[in-house]
Amino acid sequence: MSRYVRLLYHQLRASVLLSAQYRADFLIDAAIEVLWAGLAVVPLLIVFGQRSDVAGWTFGEALLVTGFFTLLQGVLEGAINPSLTAVVEHVRKGTLDFVLLKPADAQFLVSTARFSPWRAINVVTAAVIFSFAFRHIGAPPTAGGLLLAAASLLAAVTILYSLWILTVSASFYVVKVDNLTYLFSSIFDAARWPASVFRGGLRVLFTVVIPLAAMTTYPAEALLGRLSWQNAAIAMGMTVGLAVVSRLVWVRSLSRYTSAGG
Amino acid sequence: MITVRDLRKHYRVHKRPPGLWAALRSVVSRTYETVPAVDGISFELAEGERVGFLGPNGAGKTTTLKVLSGLLHPTSGEVRVHGHEPRRRDDGFLREIMLVTGQKQQLLWDLPPADTFDLNRAVYDVPRADFKRTVDELVDLLELSDLIGKPTRQLSLGERMKCELAAALIHRPRVLFLDEPTLGLDVNMQTVVRGFIRTYNERHGATLLLTSHYMDDVAALCPRVIVIDKGVLSYDGSLEELSRRVRPEKHVVLRFSRAVDAADLDGLGEIVSREPASVTLSVAPGAVTDVVSRALARLPVEDLTVQSPPLEEIMSELFSRSRAEREPPA
Repeated sequence: MSRYVRLLYHQLRASVLLSAQYRADFLIDAAIEVLWAGLAVVPLLIVFGQRSDVAGWTFGEALLVTGFFTLLQGVLEGAINPSLTAVVEHVRKGTLDFVLLKPADAQFLVSTARFSPWRAINVVTAAVIFSFAFRHIGAPPTAGGLLLAAASLLAAVTILYSLWILTVSASFYVVKVDNLTYLFSSIFDAARWPASVFRGGLRVLFTVVIPLAAMTTYPAEALLGRLSWQNAAIAMGMTVGLAVVSRLVWVRSLSRYTSAGG
Repeated sequence: MITVRDLRKHYRVHKRPPGLWAALRSVVSRTYETVPAVDGISFELAEGERVGFLGPNGAGKTTTLKVLSGLLHPTSGEVRVHGHEPRRRDDGFLREIMLVTGQKQQLLWDLPPADTFDLNRAVYDVPRADFKRTVDELVDLLELSDLIGKPTRQLSLGERMKCELAAALIHRPRVLFLDEPTLGLDVNMQTVVRGFIRTYNERHGATLLLTSHYMDDVAALCPRVIVIDKGVLSYDGSLEELSRRVRPEKHVVLRFSRAVDAADLDGLGEIVSREPASVTLSVAPGAVTDVVSRALARLPVEDLTVQSPPLEEIMSELFSRSRAEREPPA
């Protein structure tokens, strides 16, 4: 275990070195990130300008969902997306050979190969959104709520990561999965809204098939102290299930790797 | 010790005739065929041996190297590398081997090679003292001191290849699979890389299996060669024996002090090439002494060398022969 912590440190270090080499990129990235996070609140401002609540959520409560969305978007684009997009490139060029030749778990190596440390700015933005939301709500979260929200967030990150591993595993079969990754990013955008906003088929899709509800709505409900034990159990079940399935699919996909080039 | 017994690697590939209609039809119904990339080869390599693995494009060389390094699972047959079964890719195996290819690179593109070295140190758990010693040795042998601090993308192809080699050897592998390591390098850089590979083998007793289209690489590095063509082994033995067997004749190169008429060369041997004041003759091995003494007696010989035909010619003849044997004329 300690070996993998050490490896994670070295992979992170390489990413920081890389980012430090492109300072201009960093400044532009950070500015764009702050702008995006600000824009994430705009749809809420428009909707709540017309009415005081949406599907049982007040403005302050819905802001919490946006806060978790911003946080997860930071995780997705800062920690998950850069590495796993690199895998698709590795598979296409045949350079995954070098990952497979290393005496360490290949999934770990590719998942930690590249970080965009500047996306950490999302954590700051999310913190601002949270504090603004609680000022609006008028009461701080309870200790129990905070703890449950932290656990839900962990589950949300695991779900997000597992879904990405499944998407990327597809690259072993179809080589070009760019469209699939775009589709996933577009669907993830719906996670900025509380799940109860969606009706019928969309609700089933976003709760069960692509569990957006478990990613942003449940952690927000946990903070508000109204996450039902039933939903918490469903989220945990989904997390474990998706983690196991994605690992199995990854291992199976690896055995299909034929290595490109001569 | 590397043992390969009756190794087969067959690929199932989708096949369709050219044209739009065939392409559309293949969306619905596909025909597959099995292509034997490697079709039942066996050989053994002793520890510390340097062996050239030769064959034309598509012969199955790279497939074999990838099976040996655990990247591809064999269809059938037995493969052992230092007691390990490569397909299992266990840590002990991966720490003992490395595959270096001239076509793909592992160096982090935007960072200096030194950072890749450091990352590899962490991945392979190399103690810091050993790491320092190894890097010092590699920097010295490959003359890397000015290179390892520059971003990889700013290095020339040759400089990058030297750093690639160094990155591959941080964990001091005991078995090195080299796939076209001098591809695209200029003559000087080829010599440097060759010299380095030889030194690494001699200093650390590492086993080397090398594929290359540059016969100079093979001649300089490999006392033994294994030749495969269309997935089948066609020769395994020493380079000298190969050249004796395929092209036993010798080339006698004569340089004269003045121009010589073609008629004066009659009866000496088959003329391979001729210029006014020089000639290369192809002579049967038993007749060399006789031809040389006759030439010295009747021609103004200034300089004389006896050599085997170039390795490129030998290989090309071997490949065309084995193809002719396999595909007899209808």
